[in-house]
Amino acid sequence: ATSKKVITIDEWEKKLSDVKIRKEDMNKLVMNFLVTEGYVDAAEKFRMESGTEHIDLATITDRMAVKKAVQSGNVEDAIEKVNDLNPEILDTNPQLFFHLQQQRLIELIRNGKVEEALEFAQEELAPRGEENQSFLEELERTVALLAFEDVTNCPVGELLDISQRLKTASEVNAAILTSQSHEKDPKLPSLLKMLIWAQNQLDEKAAFPHISNLSTAALEDPPV
Amino acid sequence: MPASSASSSAPHRPEDLILRLSSAADGRDGDAKLRLLRELKNQIIGNRTKKLSYIGLGAVPSVVSILSSASSAAADSDEVESLLVQSAAAIGSFSCGVDAGVKAVLDAGAFPYLLNLVSHPNEKIVDAAARSLRMIYQSKLAPKYEFLQKKNMEFLLALLNKENENVTGLGASVITHSCETSIEQKALSDAGVLKKLSSLLGGSLSQRDASLESIATIINSNPEVISKFVGPESGRALSIVTELTKDRYPRTRLLACMCLIAIRNTSPSCLEGVGIKTKLILILLELLDDSGQVGDEAAFALCSLIAEREDLQKLAFEANAVDKLCNHLEKGSLHAKRLEGIFLALSSLCSKLECCRSRFLSLKNNRALFGIFPLKGIFKIGLLRCWTFGLTVSFGFREALNLVTDALTHVCIEVRGAACICLKSLSRSVKNLSAGTFMNEIILVPLVQLLCDSPTSLQVAALGAISNIVVDFTVHKSTFIQCGGAKQLVQLSKSMDSTVRLNAVWALRNLMFHVNNRCKEEILSELTASVLASLISDPKPSVQEQALALVRNLVDGPEDFADYVFAEDCLLLHAVGNQLQNASKPDVLLQGRSNLGPPRLFPKKKHAVSPGGGWGKDEVFARDADASIKELTKGMYTLCNVASGNEFSKEAVMSQLFCQTSNTQCILVNFLQNSDSRFRTAAVWTVVNLTFPSSPGAFDRAGKLRNAGIATQLKNMVDDSCVDVKLRVKTAIGQMMSFGDGST
Repeated sequence: ATSKKVITIDEWEKKLSDVKIRKEDMNKLVMNFLVTEGYVDAAEKFRMESGTEHIDLATITDRMAVKKAVQSGNVEDAIEKVNDLNPEILDTNPQLFFHLQQQRLIELIRNGKVEEALEFAQEELAPRGEENQSFLEELERTVALLAFEDVTNCPVGELLDISQRLKTASEVNAAILTSQSHEKDPKLPSLLKMLIWAQNQLDEKAAFPHISNLSTAALEDPPV
Repeated sequence: MPASSASSSAPHRPEDLILRLSSAADGRDGDAKLRLLRELKNQIIGNRTKKLSYIGLGAVPSVVSILSSASSAAADSDEVESLLVQSAAAIGSFSCGVDAGVKAVLDAGAFPYLLNLVSHPNEKIVDAAARSLRMIYQSKLAPKYEFLQKKNMEFLLALLNKENENVTGLGASVITHSCETSIEQKALSDAGVLKKLSSLLGGSLSQRDASLESIATIINSNPEVISKFVGPESGRALSIVTELTKDRYPRTRLLACMCLIAIRNTSPSCLEGVGIKTKLILILLELLDDSGQVGDEAAFALCSLIAEREDLQKLAFEANAVDKLCNHLEKGSLHAKRLEGIFLALSSLCSKLECCRSRFLSLKNNRALFGIFPLKGIFKIGLLRCWTFGLTVSFGFREALNLVTDALTHVCIEVRGAACICLKSLSRSVKNLSAGTFMNEIILVPLVQLLCDSPTSLQVAALGAISNIVVDFTVHKSTFIQCGGAKQLVQLSKSMDSTVRLNAVWALRNLMFHVNNRCKEEILSELTASVLASLISDPKPSVQEQALALVRNLVDGPEDFADYVFAEDCLLLHAVGNQLQNASKPDVLLQGRSNLGPPRLFPKKKHAVSPGGGWGKDEVFARDADASIKELTKGMYTLCNVASGNEFSKEAVMSQLFCQTSNTQCILVNFLQNSDSRFRTAAVWTVVNLTFPSSPGAFDRAGKLRNAGIATQLKNMVDDSCVDVKLRVKTAIGQMMSFGDGST
């Protein structure tokens, strides 16, 4: 027997219905999510249907073009596009620039262009290591790819994964958003985290209906 | 085979590209120009190495010529506009973080074109031009912006009033990097710039950060501007800045703190409030956790906040600052800037409070031991062995002090200097000086090493630490001498640089303090009487003062060293005597005191909130005002000490005091008549020693003194306000009376 207060689903639902949330706020949340994640068409459609405003779509389109280019492995194209968008981004972000160059090397190796890869590593990547000591370790790992016959099964094989492309794409996306003075993360995840935290806090004081499945948001009976 | 213009897959070799670019620049093929510009631009962005090599190959003038021809094009076609954008972007990239690039760009004459383009109707061109100018203004090589010219101020305000973030950012950047004098600060404030910047605090992230930096520059060390800034007419500017210290972005928090620190350092009364001091300290300590530039600058900001302010140091101590700073040091593999900042912060923290010093010196860490074994690439067996070894040794601890000592041999000069300054603060701890904490080879050897062949500022920093350490109240000073310390100090006492000389002599004086005879001999054999005599008559009064104090310490103690002043034909004694004669003319005394102004705490630099370069020369500077007084009293005390010796000594002193042929008053009388009790004390002690009854020549000396009017003077002093003087006067009169009242 605990001294915790017990709240039934009925009581809980009644309390919830007393809380007022504005439709506009929810629309803004949705729009913020669509925009940050780069769903241009969805954002435009949503704007037309809900009347919620968003930032200039052109900038989202540009950003999405860059992200797509990286995800398809066209890193050189992506770099050109970023530079057209804002030359400062890569000039003031050595780590991002390094990762993009790194991705270029990975793509060359993936396509079997060993000669070109070697030359690229020497001309473009090595100077990054010279300019900045903290890149040396990652540089070594990347160059190690060149040493192995069977690249997919070597210790650093994970660099060839698609996930590496996504990681780089995500980094570029965040940098562009920051340069445009936008938040680089959507608000929705933070709200959900807050929900889970609040539930955990309340757990110490009461037994109440939880939301365990975030996608359905179904209320579950309070634990006895 | 026709060259396909679409084949961008094979990049040109740099030299090729430059050739084609410069020939295209002279031609009319806009398409080729555009293509080559883009290629160049995409090669250099982010790539410092390529930038430097292209600058060396002469790319910049070609790019600038494309910019200029496009600027003066009759019609603004799409092609012309693209050329403007691309050439401006390339120029901006060359200037980004590369001084050589900025120089090349300015030399090629790009500046006026860029400035013009900021007012262009096409937003993209404005962006490109504004960005490039902003890059130029990040560099010290940027042209000085003359704020005081009306046209320029108007242009600046126009920039700040634009919607475009890049343009307002440019305006802010110009201010941050070009505003230097208090007149300029006032002009900017009067023109409404400060107010405009405050309103930009409500803008986007980059606008906020840029404004904060500019605001800090305008208000820095300027009480008048500050009072306007915090006053009612400027809206809620101060409270907005205070709010921003809690912003979610670390850099914004830091910049807001630096604004508040600028206010606090100049006009503390404008920033009173519940716990604002503690809050600032806590925010800065938390910002240290940032591993990037923000963390670096936070350390410098903390140093600036607490420097010279005991109340703030106390608050920092209570906020656990010592432990936190030490923890950061222990993390190891910190880059140079971070290390420098932390050491400087520690040195400020420990500069006045013993509790801080004790706390630091009591901290131990055992992380360092595992750092000795690099685990990368070791085979398993070796790893096992290494682990075992690591475990057994882990029971030993390294002292926090070792972290400072290690830094004395750091590869970076600034770190070495900062470590010295830190040591100087730590070695103010009397408790630890008595315990001999610092008098060991681990510390002394690198310190002495820093005295040889280092830049002046580093020598001065090392001397500062040494001066304190050699005061050491134990008898281990010989360790210092064995490390070659005395030799180096003597060497530096002959330096051309007066600051170095001063600090070297100061250190020697401290070394000579209460040291045993053997050490005295060793020091003197290095120093020699002639060097010491020349130091006593050094052009700088502050150096004279230290030299006289050195002599005083020398003759303090057993008699045989008092005799040293008679060596080489009384060289030293003459020097001291001369100094007294020359310097004690009344008008000189008065003048010396009135030439003072209050010492400047922060020299007027752009980033005065963070004392990054230059290690507080103010700390080791000569207090020239006091120097005259102290130097003279020390000279007198030297003579006094010598006069406590044998007959020969007493006579020698008499000859020093009475060697003038003119009928100016005897120095002793000057001293006895001086309003400063220190002078009177020194003089009356000398009289006491000279007229000591048991000496054979006392009678004659008393007579001479009486003839010089000393007896009369003493009689006027029986009720002196200073107790010390009063007592000695009584003794002196008594002694002189015992030889009769002088009537012949």
